[in-house]
Amino acid sequence: MTQVERERAYRALSLARALDERMWRLARAGRAHFAVPCSGHEAIGAGYALALQPGLDWVSPHYRDLAALLVLGMEPRDVMLCFFSRPSDPNAAGRQPYAHFGSRRLHVLSQQGPQPNHCSHGVGCAWGSKILNDGSVSVIAFGDGGAQKGEVHESMNLAAVHRLPCIFVVHRNGWTQSVKREDEYATETLVARAAGYSMPGIAVDGADIEAMVAATKEAAERARGGGGPTLIDAHCVRFLPNTSNDDDTRYRDRSALEANFATGDPLVRARGLVDAAFAKRVDDENAAAAQEAADWAEAQPLGDPTTVMEHAYA
Amino acid sequence: MRELTVIEAVRAALTEEMARDPRVIVMGEDVGKLGGVFRATEGLYDRFGAERVIDMPMAETGIAGVAVGMAMRGLRPVAEIQFADFIHAAMDHLVGEAAKIRWRTAGDWSVPMVLRTAYGGGFRGGPYHSQSVEAFYAHAPGLKVVAPSTPADAKGLLLAAIRDPDPVIVLEHKRTYRAIRGPVPDGDVVVPIGKAAIARLGSDVTVLAYGMMLHESLAAAATLAEEGIDVEVVDLRTLLPLDRETILTSLTKTRRLCVVHEDTITMGLGAELCAIAAEAGVLDVPPVRVAMPDIPGIPVDDVLEDAILPNRATIRDALVRLVARERTHGGPRAAYDPAIPQASSTIEVALPEEHLRSALDAVVEACAAFPRFNATFSWSGITEHPDVVVDLDLGTSAPARGGGTITLVDYGRDGADLGVPFVRPDQTAALRIGAVRNGRAYVTCAVDHRAIDGSDVGRFLALFKTALERQRHPDPNLCHPELVEGPPS
Repeated sequence: MTQVERERAYRALSLARALDERMWRLARAGRAHFAVPCSGHEAIGAGYALALQPGLDWVSPHYRDLAALLVLGMEPRDVMLCFFSRPSDPNAAGRQPYAHFGSRRLHVLSQQGPQPNHCSHGVGCAWGSKILNDGSVSVIAFGDGGAQKGEVHESMNLAAVHRLPCIFVVHRNGWTQSVKREDEYATETLVARAAGYSMPGIAVDGADIEAMVAATKEAAERARGGGGPTLIDAHCVRFLPNTSNDDDTRYRDRSALEANFATGDPLVRARGLVDAAFAKRVDDENAAAAQEAADWAEAQPLGDPTTVMEHAYA
Repeated sequence: MRELTVIEAVRAALTEEMARDPRVIVMGEDVGKLGGVFRATEGLYDRFGAERVIDMPMAETGIAGVAVGMAMRGLRPVAEIQFADFIHAAMDHLVGEAAKIRWRTAGDWSVPMVLRTAYGGGFRGGPYHSQSVEAFYAHAPGLKVVAPSTPADAKGLLLAAIRDPDPVIVLEHKRTYRAIRGPVPDGDVVVPIGKAAIARLGSDVTVLAYGMMLHESLAAAATLAEEGIDVEVVDLRTLLPLDRETILTSLTKTRRLCVVHEDTITMGLGAELCAIAAEAGVLDVPPVRVAMPDIPGIPVDDVLEDAILPNRATIRDALVRLVARERTHGGPRAAYDPAIPQASSTIEVALPEEHLRSALDAVVEACAAFPRFNATFSWSGITEHPDVVVDLDLGTSAPARGGGTITLVDYGRDGADLGVPFVRPDQTAALRIGAVRNGRAYVTCAVDHRAIDGSDVGRFLALFKTALERQRHPDPNLCHPELVEGPPS
């Protein structure tokens, strides 16, 4: 990555963290319904988004991919409108909880509650790229918990059979809310699954933004060239509970977890890529931007009950 | 006009639409070289190629999910689930995703996909190749569900489904595929989603049916005609959204309801249809449902299957019993009470031939603007209101019901120009629309002078005229009219 690209990456990681921390505190204070933290996961979303061609490629993001949305062009105020479930939220108009991202303008498919139903939607989108022959690729991101569902098997199999231009990105944090990795799958990692579908697999340190960008670029180049899908298995640490409704002290040892934070923090790692004064300035700007966006969004009007039937047609 | 079977009509629709619109993609198990197990897609693979006629693995979840993604991306996927019995693996994508995506994004995304599937029993398929699944999907707002019964509708509704901007499930009764042959109009004739059809005119009782049960009901009706029982059969055609106007217009005439479906009875479509009739207060006797009993599956054994599925004989028996029931409401009543002092006024209005719905809306609007009538309802469509009933009276002999009603009498195109109605017992007012001549008609309103002042009648009519002549928006509950009148440019 060039220094300009590194600085851009750092800005996205820092902004995602600032928004994440702001939302977590507001949700815990009862100011909003629901927060889905992304701390620890930022480099995966930011990494794949930085490797894509804006306006051409498509994304079915994981719900912890706030950093991807920011790279793709979502503004902090839009994130906070989503967080406060306001009708002006461009993702879901106050009809879905936070982290159910979606924007036709940004080529982000609307996301749903049941995980990871968007896998086959992303495959269908990639199939559209192939049929329309427009050279676009699709990223389909999900967690290692979701990866245990038949949905993912059918999606990866179809993508491999038809050599569709898509990239499966799994956030492997080792937890499915409270259920630990050993109770979810029998292998240490998931990258070996790629071979079972006859597609390339890349194991990545998901806290390493440069590694994520490189892996995604490699996969995207292959997909664009007709080489079919790739599985990227990105390991990461989920710093916070599953959501603001979760209490992770009931099922995991926080002190053991926090011992991983130094090496597993994508933001700390990325500080090594940029000038320290630059990082400090960006962090300060982003903290202020997150605060401003939250204050502004919270002041936006709530929904009008006469509009609830809009877009309901049967 | 060609004579086709239902399966030939389905194939014609797919072929013509794939030729017309390169965005249309057919996908499913065995739809390619085999042409589908029922041959609905025969010939498509050779003509349009493997990229647009996609043989899918045995993966119903993936088939539906990929169709959702293709549709979001701008294609027009027509997915096939080989047997409706296998559709449940796809339900999360249909009910959880396709149905919700437009609403949950406030219109940012839409899912113009079609899912076709073969349903229904009667051909010894056993528990997993015979089921009817309509109730599960007709319960999901955001989906549209159609169930054609004739070759013309099989083609026309499939065309409408493919052109619809939202997800449509097309339920094709597999027994109709080859058993039912009929005329299919040449060319691009689209049957609108949301419109039922009167398959047989009658006056004694209304049967609501679809699929193979429509044909069994018609056979029962033909038998009963010889016995002097005049059965009206309504082909529902679309199960979601239901065509309440056609259903209630028929029931207002016959005032007796029999619903026939192959699906099991509890929580089936018949329950909703009976509820619609009950809420509208249009029945004189309790309704009857002829349906499969609550058995987990359809048995493959010939005798057992025949014993549980409705057929023309069981439908006939149910209708005979229904018609024999004494009417508990309505019936003969005093047509005129000289004690009621009458006041009336007449106004001329501009009126198209098809005007019943707008006339009803205009009554509602005029009443709402007229607090002295004490008609405090807000109402659209032919539905019951707990306090005030607008009694849809289509014929001069139909009895009015309930207290405080306004009866709307429509003479229709062959009626007299001007008729002054009188207020009968149980009514507050009566409104008569004369025959439409050159786009104009006389409307006369009579009231019970003890309740309403004569001068108010004139003001009410003026409000009614204003409301009626205002350009009305098309009904948003029906399908998109621009999509059923012809192909998009």
